This record gives sequence, C-alpha cells and structure tokens, in this order.
Amino acid sequence: MPTSRPVPRIPVEERLFSLVLALLATESGLTKNEILSTVQGYRQRYAPGGDNANLERQFERDKDDIRELGVPLETIETPGQAGNNQTLRYRIPRGSYELPEDVRFSPQEVTLLNLAARVWREGSLSSESRRALLKLGSLGVTSDEPVLGYAPRVRVRDAAFEPLSAALEKHVIVRFDYLKPGQAAARRREVEPLALFQHQGRWHLYAAEPDTRLHKTFLLRRIVSPIELTSRGFQPPAEDPREQALRDLEAIWESRVAIVEAVPGSDAATRLLKRRGTTRVGNDRLSLHYADPDIIADELAGFGPEVVVIDPPQLRDAVRERLERTVAEHG
Amino acid sequence: MAKRAKAPAFHAQDKLAFLLSLVPYLMDHDRVRVPEVAKHFGVEPEFVRDAVRLIGVSGVPGETSQYQHEDLFDINWDAFEEDDEIVLTNLVAIDESPRFSAREAAALIAGLQYLSSLPENADRAAIASLEAKLSRGSSSQPSPVAVEATETDATLALLRESVEKGVQVEFDYSNSAGHAERRKVDPLRVESMDADWYVRAWCHLRRAVRTFRLDRISNPVLTDEPITTHAKDVSLPDTLFESSADDLLVTIEVAESALPLLADYVPDGSTLSRASEGRVRTTIRVTHYHGLKRLIGSMAGVARVLEPEQARAAVAAWAREGAARYAD
Repeated sequence: MPTSRPVPRIPVEERLFSLVLALLATESGLTKNEILSTVQGYRQRYAPGGDNANLERQFERDKDDIRELGVPLETIETPGQAGNNQTLRYRIPRGSYELPEDVRFSPQEVTLLNLAARVWREGSLSSESRRALLKLGSLGVTSDEPVLGYAPRVRVRDAAFEPLSAALEKHVIVRFDYLKPGQAAARRREVEPLALFQHQGRWHLYAAEPDTRLHKTFLLRRIVSPIELTSRGFQPPAEDPREQALRDLEAIWESRVAIVEAVPGSDAATRLLKRRGTTRVGNDRLSLHYADPDIIADELAGFGPEVVVIDPPQLRDAVRERLERTVAEHG
Repeated sequence: MAKRAKAPAFHAQDKLAFLLSLVPYLMDHDRVRVPEVAKHFGVEPEFVRDAVRLIGVSGVPGETSQYQHEDLFDINWDAFEEDDEIVLTNLVAIDESPRFSAREAAALIAGLQYLSSLPENADRAAIASLEAKLSRGSSSQPSPVAVEATETDATLALLRESVEKGVQVEFDYSNSAGHAERRKVDPLRVESMDADWYVRAWCHLRRAVRTFRLDRISNPVLTDEPITTHAKDVSLPDTLFESSADDLLVTIEVAESALPLLADYVPDGSTLSRASEGRVRTTIRVTHYHGLKRLIGSMAGVARVLEPEQARAAVAAWAREGAARYAD
C-alpha cells in the first residue's frame, strides 16, 4: 500500500475484539464503511476515498470467525434500499449475544461439564469444548474435583468426521463413496446428513435419502472417498435426530443375536460376558447382541481359539473365513 | 490433579473467546490476582496478562469515532503492574457472559451423554436438565452429535468407593495371555477410550502402576487394607498406552484407511512407506505377542505382520488354532 505513514500492526484478536465491542455498543447498526473507517484494526489500514478491497475481504473473513464463536452478527437493511450493500447495517443484538439469565451452573454441574469437555482430545471438537470451558469460566463458578480422577477420551479419527460435521451445521446435501463389506466396488451416495453419533465405539452418520425419504445409517470408516459438500440445502427435521439415530441402530442391535461357545476362564469368556446384553445360555455358551455382522466377526476372530460361533451360520462362516485368511497371510 | 493433555496453541478466535469471557468475570471480581484468574480458567498467567493489557486499551469508537478516554475500558495500571492484580475501573459495551456456539454446546452435550453412566452421574434427571440448559445457552440449535453412553458395570462404583473409603480393592484379572491372578490395587484414575474403560492403579502384586481393562476384571471386592499410594503421589502420563524399553517392534502392512485405528500403537517418529495401492508399511509397538495376535486376528485382510518371524508365527498359530475349532 503506497502510504507515507507506517501502518501499525494490530493483532488479529484486537481487531476482532474491537469489532465485537463496536457492534455490541450500537443500537442502529454500523455500515461497512463506518466499520472500516472507525473500528480499531481496520481504521489504521483504511484509505479514505481509495481502494479498500483487501480490507473488505478481511472484514468478510472476520465476520465468519466471529459467527463461528456463536456471536450473532445481524444485518439490517435500510428501508427502501433492500439489496444495497452500502447501506446495509451490522450489529450484535444483546439479547441473542448474552447468556440468558436463567442459564447458570452449580459447582457440581461445572465439574461434570469440565469432565465432558475433556472427553475430546483431538480435532475441532477439542477446540470447541476448550472455548466452551472459557465461556463457562466467565460465570466464576468453581468446580469440585471428583473423588476418583477421570480421564475419558472419545476418539475422532475418521477423516469424514470434520467435513460431515460442517455439512450438518450448514444443512447441505453431501456425496461420498461407500463400500459395503462383501461388495466389490464402492457405490456413490447422496444424502442429507442428520446426525453424527458413536455407537459401540464407532462413528456413524445418520442420514436421509433425498428421493426415498428413507433414513440410513452409515459407518464412517466405510466411506472411501472425500466428502463432497454440495450447495443444495435441505430442511432439517423438527425433532431431534440424535435419539432416533441411536434408537434405530439399537433396534438392529437388539434383533441380531449370536450364540457362541467360549472357553471357561479365557479372555473371551470374561470380556464377552461383560458386554452389554450378553447372557449365559447353557454351560459355556453365551448369547450376545450385535449391530453389524462384519464388526462382530472381526471381534470374534480376534479371540482365536477361545471362542467358536455356533449360530447364526453366516457369522460362523464369516469368523472361520477370517481365521483362515489370517493363517494364509501369515504362513 | 492430573496433568492436562497438551493443548494446541490458542488461535485468535480462542483469544477472542477468552477476552469476551474474562470481562464479565472481572466485573464480578472487584480485585483479583492474575494467578487466581489463570488457575480458574486453566490457562497460563502470561495469557491472562496479555488479555488484560489488551482489554485495558480497548473500547468502542464512541460518538466522536475517535476512541476517547470514556469510550475505553480502563484498569488500575499500578495495581496490575506492581501487584499483579486486576481492577477494572471503566467498563464499556459488555454486560454479560457470551452464549455458547452451536458446536461448543454440542461438544459438551455429547461429552455429557458419553459420561452419563459414570457413578457420579446416577441422577439422569440432573443430566437432562443440564443438557437443556446448554441448549438454551447456545446461540443456535446445538449440532446433532451424540455418543452412546457406555455400559459401565458395578466395578466403577466399587473403584470409587475404594478411594472414598481409602481401602484397597481386590479382583481377579486375566491378562491378554489368558492368565488370571488375584490383584490388590490402589485406584488412581479411571480412563476410557471410546467404548473401552480402564483403571490406572498401583498394583501391590507388581509393586508398580498398571493399567487394567475393566472388562477383564472379575469378582471385585473392597478389602480392609488401607490404600498406600494416592493419585497425588504419582505422575500419570496423558497417553493410555505407555511405551517401555521392553516393547517389541513389529513391522506390519496395513490398509491406509485403517491406519488411524492403529495410531496409538505407532511410536513417534516411525516411518510410513507405501506397500501397494491403498496399503502402507509401518512399525507398531506391542508389549508382547499375546496382545498382537488378538489385534491382528481382528483385522483379517486389513493388516498383516511382516516381521519379525516370531511375531508372524504367533499370529499364524493363534488363527490356526482358531480355525481348527471349526474343522468338525
């Protein structure tokens, strides 16, 4: 920029903070030009009557950053001048910015929330929960330390997780290739993402097919292409899809039962008996529930000779094939 | 308290979230020292000082658009610089704490669901009301992300009782080699990884800190013997799986898509090389081949051991014995 005056470098957080303060303080809103020419961090780089294209782009990015933090940035059109960007006014309405007065937390609740935040150690959820804790800290409530310390972790390792969670938030249709076990080639899917959820330690996508309106559950680890976000939006369902997602998969889990024989005292016997829903049926026989035939087959194959599948026959075959394959690949 | 996981660096957005959170906190605390604030928010004291310095010179353009003195926050600079004490003397624009973003609320809600089976959280109604509060305190509908509450059995409640009463807990433990032993332990910390739960404890039999899988623990009971090692006496690492000099290194070939599943077994600085289309070669670290054979056995067609020979043989023998059970 050809100016004679040196432009002082204002840190990003100072510019963002000043923008939020300015927009909170205004009732009637500020135009983009008012913001760029007066707000700290912009005004230093503003060229009166000149080309401010770079600064305008900066402002667009800053708006996104601020909105991502949950700060409601509102635009008001000047009556009679709809669609005119020059007269569009920006403000942050206090009512939707401030935490409602009845949302306060007890020390026990803060302890729980601290623990809940610690569940996320990686990916964007870890940054989100860290910010949530800063905001929680704002209320000044001190938490109690639990009697016995906890270090919970939920992993978010699937590459599809982040793009899908962005699509969930924008309510846009996504496309991806999905490889079902036993099929030779992946098939292209196009769905409305409704919820992301973890069941039995694995991340799933709950989604609706735009044409059939059928709800489907996809395992994230079987998505074999990058997630493509389309520009086509959809109306999210009125009711909370999370419970329905878990309920649908739970119904499948409930309906699928395997009978296995586990060597008494073995690791398989101990751990399978501890699985939710497992019951003893006869001497060394256990009845267990599962949601996905391929995942349970993998798990049971890992127990080697400690377990034999009795029923259903397809699962028996699947475990046997896996064991034989492992033998062949390690011979 | 347990050492926190090494957090990623704070970005401008995080700093903004802190500034917007710190102001209302300071409004409620007339006079507060920097270390106390740092401890409360779980951040470094210097991070607090930087924020206070910035707040002290920030404000709104005001009527003149010139950031006049009355348009700015002000602090007692002497108290700040000499006594490390924060006193806000002029306030602008901010009255209250900010709302949570949809994703922030979603992260906490999903975390709460995951933990809802802990003995601390026996009161389901309280959890539900907490979730509702988070939703109300969110700037828009929290994103639909959920984690199934994992079934935790009575063992967890007993471990907690053991620490509460200060007595050792005793149980049968079968390790991955299949040997069961009666152990007496002092519980130090309960840990989890997705649907799997563990307890880190001082093991009186081994005279060392050990990690026990909860689903391998049977017949737990409280003893009369007092706990000798407390959580504060030992420094526990953040990673669940600790490496030791006795670890065995194994070279494997694995489908690239399954690599994240093995991330915890891959030692720092290990190299990856492409084996064939979609498959990579890497090194993993295991404590013994009993664990390895189970792991590789559950990844048929996805991962295979290349070397050492002994490791290959252990996996092959395990699978062969397993397959033999289907022979008749």
